Amino acid sequence: MSQSSGNGELQRDFVEKWRENGYNCFSSGHKFCREVCPVMQVTRNENHTPTAFHANIIAMDKGLLDIEDVADDYVHCTQCGGCEIRCPNTLFVGDFYQARTETVKVVRAARALMVDEGLDRDGWKLWNRLTDELKNEPVLGIEGDRPTGQDHVRDWAEGLDLPVGGETIMFADCEAAFYRTSNTRATAQVLQKAGVEFGLMNEQWCCGGPAAEMGYVDQSRAFAEHNLADWRASGVKRVIAIEPHDYIHFTEDYPAYFGEDFDIEVVQIVELVAELIKDGRLKLEHPINKTVTYHDPCRLNKRKNIHEAPRYILRSIPGLVLEDVDHVTQWSYCSGGGGGLPIEKPEITAEISDMRLARAKELDVDMLVSACVWSERPLARAGDEVGIEVADIIELVAESAGIEVGGSRGVSQPTVSR
Amino acid sequence: MTASPTVELDRAVVADLEAIMDEPGSVLTDVSSRANRSRVPAPFPVHRWAEHMPAAVVLPRTAEQVSEIVKLANRARVPVVPRAGGTGLNDGAVPLRGGIVVDVKRMNQIKEIDMIDRTVTVGPGINMLKLNEELGKYHVFHPDTPASYPCSLVGGRIACSGFSLLGSRFGHTRDLVISFEIVLPTGEIIRVGDGGGKKIRKSSTGFHLKHLFMGHQGTLGIVTEATLELVPKPEAEFAAFFAFDDYLRAHRTVHGIVTSGIATLAGTVIFDEKKVEYLRRDDEAFIPMPPWVNSVVATALYGTKAEVSEASKILMDLGRREGGRYTGDEMAVGDWASRHDRYANPLHGRLADGSVAPMSWHCEDASLNWSVIPQVREEWTAITQKYVDRYGIFDNWGMYCYTNASYKPWGDYLVEIDIGIWEEKLDDEKWAGWVDLKREIAKVSLAHGGSISSCHGTTRAGDAELVPEEMGGGWDVMLKIKRALDPNNIMNPGKQMLDQAYE
Repeated sequence: MSQSSGNGELQRDFVEKWRENGYNCFSSGHKFCREVCPVMQVTRNENHTPTAFHANIIAMDKGLLDIEDVADDYVHCTQCGGCEIRCPNTLFVGDFYQARTETVKVVRAARALMVDEGLDRDGWKLWNRLTDELKNEPVLGIEGDRPTGQDHVRDWAEGLDLPVGGETIMFADCEAAFYRTSNTRATAQVLQKAGVEFGLMNEQWCCGGPAAEMGYVDQSRAFAEHNLADWRASGVKRVIAIEPHDYIHFTEDYPAYFGEDFDIEVVQIVELVAELIKDGRLKLEHPINKTVTYHDPCRLNKRKNIHEAPRYILRSIPGLVLEDVDHVTQWSYCSGGGGGLPIEKPEITAEISDMRLARAKELDVDMLVSACVWSERPLARAGDEVGIEVADIIELVAESAGIEVGGSRGVSQPTVSR
Repeated sequence: MTASPTVELDRAVVADLEAIMDEPGSVLTDVSSRANRSRVPAPFPVHRWAEHMPAAVVLPRTAEQVSEIVKLANRARVPVVPRAGGTGLNDGAVPLRGGIVVDVKRMNQIKEIDMIDRTVTVGPGINMLKLNEELGKYHVFHPDTPASYPCSLVGGRIACSGFSLLGSRFGHTRDLVISFEIVLPTGEIIRVGDGGGKKIRKSSTGFHLKHLFMGHQGTLGIVTEATLELVPKPEAEFAAFFAFDDYLRAHRTVHGIVTSGIATLAGTVIFDEKKVEYLRRDDEAFIPMPPWVNSVVATALYGTKAEVSEASKILMDLGRREGGRYTGDEMAVGDWASRHDRYANPLHGRLADGSVAPMSWHCEDASLNWSVIPQVREEWTAITQKYVDRYGIFDNWGMYCYTNASYKPWGDYLVEIDIGIWEEKLDDEKWAGWVDLKREIAKVSLAHGGSISSCHGTTRAGDAELVPEEMGGGWDVMLKIKRALDPNNIMNPGKQMLDQAYE
């Protein structure tokens, strides 16, 4: 057994906070989560299972191991939440006991403990330091020019004549603002076409979600405070989250940070667009003659139970044939793009996205459609290899609405030197 | 000749393992890898966790690697413990003397799907649900469906000779595994089946080694490949639940159903009063039943539409003949579909004062004849109550009985009593109490002509010391086989009193 590297008190606090939740899993030990877990499906290493993430807490409690011993294990998670909903404790009796197996929160808390103990990983350390400097994630890498950062945060909107401020704003996710700009451009133009009044943020920093996922709690909170203050200063009442990770952060972390003071309405883009189509405010008249399958983004499907709106949207596009895979089967699907995994373990992300495309390939489709810009880079990379195009659902909506989107769909991987 | 616990390997042995594996991250000696492969879902002496840690873990991909690891273990006199899913309800995959855990999860390939001779050949690390996701494309399935269907792996199914919930219709693991490749305790790689090539299902050449190398809980070798049965996907499924105000009526009803000659009968289950009470604890997920309900009979048919349609009429009549009341279509479809998840839930643990405590699941799984079940039920329930009262960490979660024999639903039953254990509170005294409880329950099974275990195995204290009694004259034969095949006692030592082979 190794000795704790730093303040043993923090580890004790972590154990104290999560012991009961850990025991609820430890006592069960059923492992129904295991074959659902995207990382486990690739590594086949029991250290990377949700079961282990909980058992480690009990092992720490028993003095068997320290956070240092399991730090690398806790990197092996995309925070997709599949394990939580497949857990018999959640699935069958969770409502009755008002209990949900919390694995994503355990992983985040363990990573926060790693940061506090100086055990955080080099790639994440660099990524978050750059995010702190730029105020946006370094999604274009750090080599050469760095067109990310505040000077360029609205470059994607060139020529769209979008106002700044107003009661409703569209929050442009970092990956969409700098890398896959076709996503932001499509979204803004779809909203314009449907007559939704909205503006952009005055000074848009990263939502802070990735920092929270990687354990940098203070940084995440500082970014959240900035953004909320910015919204308040320009009278924002409603935020349109165009990306599922941002949506999780705004609807779960921000309320946790600010309590009842957080009175901003948060709207997810796929639900909003589905409403616009239903209400007849958005007309999809240009046929897209392609056969597609839909990738349920983990944070929409597994964590927020949003799976009907995107299917409604796709079925509203003329000419489009949807080869659907039901959302429960997709509990075990993932792009590998979440939870900071591509920064630290890009080879595992690649295997997960290859596996996702192999499943799409079996359906004999032209295209895999996602609704999460963070999934689209690894999926597109894997799609290139098997000849399947990867698009965002709002990009397809824009095309069917007759919009010339512009922007870039991106191709290359980010490079973050160590 | 009993090896002493190996909690640490010589550096040279680790280097040899690394040379055999030749892949980064496939030989693990860190504390996390070892701690997370020292237990299974069955009650675990968490207060003595450290004593169950292996010295190293290997993640092989080929039979040749497994063979070389086992040969090395013989040379170094280090125990080897096979581990597939680690989802067993005995301690087959729990290291009792440290050593090297051979974790086969990376051997999860589907090697061949043969739609002509109807077999699928797989690695031992594949899960049945995942396998069936693939097989679904061919309109066939591999019908080995234990309670752990979403997570257990083929290698463990063979090592435990598992029970399938659909076994009365489609057979159990032993019937569904046609042949397999196994690395013997001395490292030789052999293939065992009924005889002939790997896809032959019935032969009378030689000894039937397939049965010898199933159900040994990893004490006779490590399975590295298996050829499994493919079954046409049933066209129709029909499930029905009947509620009773009296256990004996339920018991008689089951006998009527299983002796009716319905060939599509996949299984019949009785829930006793305590089990109904346990399921009522979760009154949102389980469809509530009126207070008069004392027992439930669940049953299901699988086959062609023509077969199931006609048989369902007979079944509905037989289910009601002794006063059973059909509980409705909603419960039948929903509850049968969720049968894999219903068995035990830690959140249902209750202390004597009614408060909730997270509890682990201990499941006694005797094989018993139909005629003795009511008497055994009374004795088991009384024994369990005694321990519930004495220790304050146990909870009676009631009993199920399942039709036990392949293709012959009459005669004998897998009879289980589920007992919740508040593991967090275990100490040596309470652990000894649990072992005593197990032993008392197992003795009742033997006294009534039963077997201690239908599917989980008998490697644990409480069961293990009774195995010689159950085996009778066969026990000495077992010891001779063990000694002949594993001269150095390196293959999962300390299990099932097999150390006697070396005394």
